[in-house]
Amino acid sequence: MQPEQPSPPENSEVADGVDETALAGVMRTVPLGAAILAGSAVALLVAGYLLIYILVFIPRGTVG
Amino acid sequence: MSDTHPEIHERWILKTELLWSFGVGVFIAAALGMILFTALTISVNPPSNVERIDPKSLHLSGEFAEHNLGTTVSDGSVTVRAIATQFMFLPRCIAVPANRRVTLRFASPDVIHGLLITGTNVNTMVVPGFVAQVHTEFTRTGDLLMPCHEYCGLGHSEMWATVQVLPDDQFKPDPDGRISCAQR
Repeated sequence: MQPEQPSPPENSEVADGVDETALAGVMRTVPLGAAILAGSAVALLVAGYLLIYILVFIPRGTVG
Repeated sequence: MSDTHPEIHERWILKTELLWSFGVGVFIAAALGMILFTALTISVNPPSNVERIDPKSLHLSGEFAEHNLGTTVSDGSVTVRAIATQFMFLPRCIAVPANRRVTLRFASPDVIHGLLITGTNVNTMVVPGFVAQVHTEFTRTGDLLMPCHEYCGLGHSEMWATVQVLPDDQFKPDPDGRISCAQR
């Protein structure tokens, strides 16, 4: 039995009732939030890398 | 609000992406700069010894013959020679002094092995046909684990050795300059 395929909207240009101004307002803040989230995550990773490099790897000395 | 125009949003998003790219670029440059700086100032380099050895005969004569394995002290310098083979290190226990520079040399007669010594930066592959050489200074006494870290076959997980780091007063090589692990 084939699963039911969702039928495409008859007209994709039909307005979905979203207020364009409100959408624009949300879209203005989303990149900032994403940047802060991604920036914090990467900053934590970089801080961890630096701490291990400076406090563990360098004091153990060279092997080459 | 004039900045709600879609084109301005696009520009704003592009600006954040460019800013992100700049940040990533700065980090990559800083990381590479740090690697370069430590390489030039305190010689932090990956092990880069290129020295060939015949894997078919290394255990029969020469440096890695059985009687020559283990720790040797010659002219004050400490050298450890060991063979990494399926599925053990020979010798199984290596005695080294604390707070002295030690040269570690490894060879493999069969497949690719690898090793690390816990709590140190010693970490190298042992490739058949080449002598792997690293230097280090053990700063703490005690027994350290030296497992094989390169999958070498079904017995890989059983392949490990012990590095016994001895304080100066217990590191006493025999007249030939050889020393084995203390029996405990």
